[in-house]
Amino acid sequence: MINLTINGKAIQAPEGSTILEAARANGIYIPTLCYDKAVEIYGACGLCVVEAEGIPKLLRSCSAKCTEGMVVNTESERVVRSRKVAMELLMSAHDGDCVAPCQLNCPARTDCQGYVGLIANGEYDSALKLIKNKISLPASIGRVCPHPCEKACRRKNVEEPINIAQLKAFAADMDLNSESYVPECKPATGKKVAIIGGGPAGLTAAFYLTIMGHEVTVYDMMEKMGGMLRYGIPQYRLPKEVLDKEIAIIEKTGVKMVNNVKLGVDFTIESLKAENDAVIVAVGAWKSSSMRTPGEELEGVYGGIDFLRAVIKGNAPDIGQRVVICGGGNTAMDACRTAVRLGAKEVYVVYRRTRNEMPADKLEIDEAEEEGVIYKFLTNPLSFNGEGGKVKSITLQIMELGEPDASGRRRPVPVEGKTEEIAVDSVILAIGQKLVTDDVKELELNDRGNIIADPDFFTTNIEGVFAIGDATNRGASIAIEAIGEADRCVKAVDAYLNGEPLDTRIPYISKRDEATIDYSDRQKEARKNPRVLPADVRNKNFEEVSLGFTEEEAKAEASRCLECGCREYYKCKLLNVAQRYDIDPSRFKGEMPQKYTRDENAFIERNTAKCILCGLCVRSCREVMDIHAIGLMGRGFKTDVSPAFSLPLDQTNCNNCGLCVSLCPTGALTEKSTLRKQVPLNESYTEEFIDIDGQRASVMVSRYNGIVLRVIPNDEISRNCGLSREELIAKVQ
Amino acid sequence: MRIVIGQGSCGIAAGAEKVRKALLNTDINADSISITGCIGMCYLEPIVDIYDDNGDLTRLVKVSENDASAIAEYIHTGDKEKISALMVSDEDKEFLSKQTRIALRNCGIINPEKIEAYIEKGGYTALKSCLTEKTPEDVIEIIKTSGLAGRGGAGFPTWFKWNAARQSAGDDKYLICNADEGDPGAFMDRAVIESDPHNLIEGMLIGAYAIGAKHAVVYVRAEYPLAIRRLTNAIAQAKEQGIIGENIFGTDFSCDFMIKAGAGAFVCGEETALIESLEGHRGMPRLKPPFPAQSGFWRKPSNINNVETFANVAWIINNGGEAFAAMGTEGSKGTKVFAVTGKVKRSGLVEIPMGKTLRDVIFDIGGGMKTDKPFKAVQMGGPSGGCIPADLIDTVIDYKALGATGAIMGSGGMVVMDESTCMVGMAKFFLDFTAKESCGKCIHCRIGTKRMLEMLERITKGEGKEGDIELLVELCYSIKDGALCGLGQTAPNPVLTTIKYFRDEYEAHINDKKCPAGECSDLIEYSIDADKCRGCTLCARNCPVNAITGSVKQPHVINTDKCIKCGKCYSVCKFGAVIKA
Repeated sequence: MINLTINGKAIQAPEGSTILEAARANGIYIPTLCYDKAVEIYGACGLCVVEAEGIPKLLRSCSAKCTEGMVVNTESERVVRSRKVAMELLMSAHDGDCVAPCQLNCPARTDCQGYVGLIANGEYDSALKLIKNKISLPASIGRVCPHPCEKACRRKNVEEPINIAQLKAFAADMDLNSESYVPECKPATGKKVAIIGGGPAGLTAAFYLTIMGHEVTVYDMMEKMGGMLRYGIPQYRLPKEVLDKEIAIIEKTGVKMVNNVKLGVDFTIESLKAENDAVIVAVGAWKSSSMRTPGEELEGVYGGIDFLRAVIKGNAPDIGQRVVICGGGNTAMDACRTAVRLGAKEVYVVYRRTRNEMPADKLEIDEAEEEGVIYKFLTNPLSFNGEGGKVKSITLQIMELGEPDASGRRRPVPVEGKTEEIAVDSVILAIGQKLVTDDVKELELNDRGNIIADPDFFTTNIEGVFAIGDATNRGASIAIEAIGEADRCVKAVDAYLNGEPLDTRIPYISKRDEATIDYSDRQKEARKNPRVLPADVRNKNFEEVSLGFTEEEAKAEASRCLECGCREYYKCKLLNVAQRYDIDPSRFKGEMPQKYTRDENAFIERNTAKCILCGLCVRSCREVMDIHAIGLMGRGFKTDVSPAFSLPLDQTNCNNCGLCVSLCPTGALTEKSTLRKQVPLNESYTEEFIDIDGQRASVMVSRYNGIVLRVIPNDEISRNCGLSREELIAKVQ
Repeated sequence: MRIVIGQGSCGIAAGAEKVRKALLNTDINADSISITGCIGMCYLEPIVDIYDDNGDLTRLVKVSENDASAIAEYIHTGDKEKISALMVSDEDKEFLSKQTRIALRNCGIINPEKIEAYIEKGGYTALKSCLTEKTPEDVIEIIKTSGLAGRGGAGFPTWFKWNAARQSAGDDKYLICNADEGDPGAFMDRAVIESDPHNLIEGMLIGAYAIGAKHAVVYVRAEYPLAIRRLTNAIAQAKEQGIIGENIFGTDFSCDFMIKAGAGAFVCGEETALIESLEGHRGMPRLKPPFPAQSGFWRKPSNINNVETFANVAWIINNGGEAFAAMGTEGSKGTKVFAVTGKVKRSGLVEIPMGKTLRDVIFDIGGGMKTDKPFKAVQMGGPSGGCIPADLIDTVIDYKALGATGAIMGSGGMVVMDESTCMVGMAKFFLDFTAKESCGKCIHCRIGTKRMLEMLERITKGEGKEGDIELLVELCYSIKDGALCGLGQTAPNPVLTTIKYFRDEYEAHINDKKCPAGECSDLIEYSIDADKCRGCTLCARNCPVNAITGSVKQPHVINTDKCIKCGKCYSVCKFGAVIKA
């Protein structure tokens, strides 16, 4: 035995062992990407470098042998610096997306590609479970979300984005219409959390904290839970029966729900604090913003969300025949379409820019127009004019578009002296909503009048009190923003309750440069939208406009997904090492060595754009299998792994043993799963034994929610058996 | 009377073969016309040496086939007037007279295609004395005394490697000669093989005897067809004479010989990559340890030395280790061959004792600058080396002293630059070479050199930004630390040394978007000084893109939108009216 010291720890290693072997045997981590026991030592990645006292050069621990009395440091500053630069260089030449852009652009980081892919495969239960990791109200959110995911969807570069939101609603409806999935809760922690506000933020926080084992009570001032989803969104967009069913599932997990109680009246933050270990303030923004236009106080001028709430509660005001809605967002759309449904004959939407600049969802804008709404673009209210205290007309300033402003949109500027007057019976101001500050007197507010909450930890000025959603920081936003905050807040509260630190750093992931992606090989296929009620039917009632996807439509639409995110994300060794070091590959941004070219056979898919040239595939194919189906080509930066004679893989003598795939540290070589549409899933592999011609052979089996996704040979017998994957899969099932 | 025509690759390229044929077409006795290898004065090729019956030499330079009849007349009449225009000048004679030639001792003198010529010069006596009078240990001891160090670049003591290989277990060992001379601007190995192949064979056989190898292999780049041909011929001759094969000189020492032509990869000059290539694999370095002395070619103990190293061995055996060690400095013994090229007046092969200065080579022997522009720097050691600026011209030629400047002795390439050379562009040139020649195995070399190159490309295009120099330096040191083999570890040297000595040039490119040397075309603009322009139209007629307009005898104008900055107008203008700025 040899005595040596690694990181100050005295250890013994057998004669002839390398520093890497000695370190691993003693639980000391050294990163490697090109080392594997199955093949000869190679030394390409250089990540396994360590420093040894008295040796000026960094040693590659995969090959350097232990010597008596050696003093090794595996984490010295020089070592870490070397690994960091190596990873930065490597990632600067790794042309792949770890995670799909749709997921990254979702404020809640919902695994869109995952559930879309599962829907494409008809795996609706798995899709719903994946969604429920992030969204507790998917049927509701699927109907109302302005879907930032779709804005990022790369399919838009082919023709149009995937209809992700409607697919979510589809999977959620399937679940609601059968035995609904109720997640299991972890054992009770004995910690109590009070949540003020039962909107999307409060309910999300309640759902996940309860699953974590905490005892959660939600307090809400309205008769029913749901917040703005219930009281701000019209029935024709989100039937309240759907919301009720989803809230019932949340309740089933054990969330206590208390309605008709109001902060400042029935309880205070302090009183809740006294009875709970943590309090989350998620009270929302329930006051309509003012336009500061003369005449706003006149009878017949309504706030947008006030108007919508009144209609939903069955107290619709008499808006008359001629109604003007001010604003261009989704609340304006909700208001104008509700006004149409209430029987108004002339419904105008006044917006100071043009259709292109409208923040509302395009589909909403189109559907409102179909229902008879008249847009008055490039107009801005100058005054609301009344008679006897009741609004009678509105004077509009005519606008034109000038120079772009900070947001990049062209700024509307008044056309001097040009105005227009419209006679009206009522006016609805849908230009924003605010927190009712009197409700949260104890909390510190910012100059916008919103609660100050830490952007990472969601803490407020009172210890143990957290705040999320429309009431905080930048104010009201879309529901999925509030849900995303709630999701992160849950982690912060859980860490707080357990007295543990919380790592809020955003781990590094690889992202492709959008500008370099070529879509020319993609076949165009139009986006599918669910069928809707005809405009002349729906504008007379509050029936849900969308009829939702049929199963067939959903599968077809989901199949359009381009599969941007990497299938190997959950087991990528490259990413694992990259995330351990504080890397910034953009320092070395430059040309990518390889373009993605499709090459696959029945089981294996190659993506050389992700290859890091560790050589494990080439070496294992040569040294272990003696097959030589792939080799290294070219020189320098353009060095590439290529099948023999640059043929497609299926024209080589590859026998699909899968060894190269199992050794590939990243997504350059992947084994296709049994799913028709490939999906990145957090699979779990287990070793199982099968009978091949009377011999016991080892295979690695991946299962996901009970589905066998892959069976990969794991010893000499299974690698050389010549059985196809289908035959191997049949043996494990 | 003997007429000898210098027929190294350099001479042939300059037209020596045409000269030879022309001479054969005269009435000169064909038997008196023969060839020799590279004389070393590349700038004067083709060279014809005429030895009279007393052995006195008349050297004719820059000879063309049209001079054949004049030479014939001289041969017949002895009238030197006929060839006076061709005679080498006294100044140029100094190029050789100031050298001390050991490795190149027979180059340009003997006929490389005849073993008798080598034997006549005392060839193979050293081998014979080793085999018949000395033990392998004695040989190693002599080499140790001589202080001979590896001439391929690393400068590792030769005796040490031989001893390690000798000590290695097993009796199946290989002695390998690295003739994969890949440095741009280095050609001494080619000269030795083309001009004195038996000297290499003898040195190798002595090495094989010393380490106990039964197999000798020369790994020579395929781009040296003449060297391969002459070496193949020499091996056949040596075999015929019993110098290669079984029981050499009647002793029980046997050694076979093999030539392997490399496939053109610079990295195969790295010894482990060379071995991979020899074995038929892709040329990529192996991890060390194990070192080739323990596990090399076919995993057998192997010793690898460079051509020039072997070229010294026979001389050392014949003259004693002490004689070799008497030349040079404390740490660097003997002589070193330099391939001097670039903006120097006399380019070619220069062999001088260690301890001389760069000034001796560039100015004393090389004759200084070719143009009227002052000396700026010399790039030593090719792409793995570094540049040494003018104010360090008195640096002594010694492994340590050269290393201290940031450059290296390397294989002996010396590229001389004057003030018209952009140092950022020079670094970019060499980095472009190493980046392309990287085998692609390790991250630092494969991606790191490419990223450095991209930064240099940006800088020379005027797209550099603050922080680029610091990032370059950081990357340089990371690559030196992290790269797997010598190629990567030394690739940053040209960049590091140019930043060290010419940082202001980098800053001018980055901050002022100017190339002080006026070489980076993206950073210069051509215009015409109306006061100086005579309207001769020469520039307009030479402009390849018709970017210059103007009437005869009127000042011309360059349309900068059309101009491709080729510099043609600048070079043809007779009045200095074209301004490059």
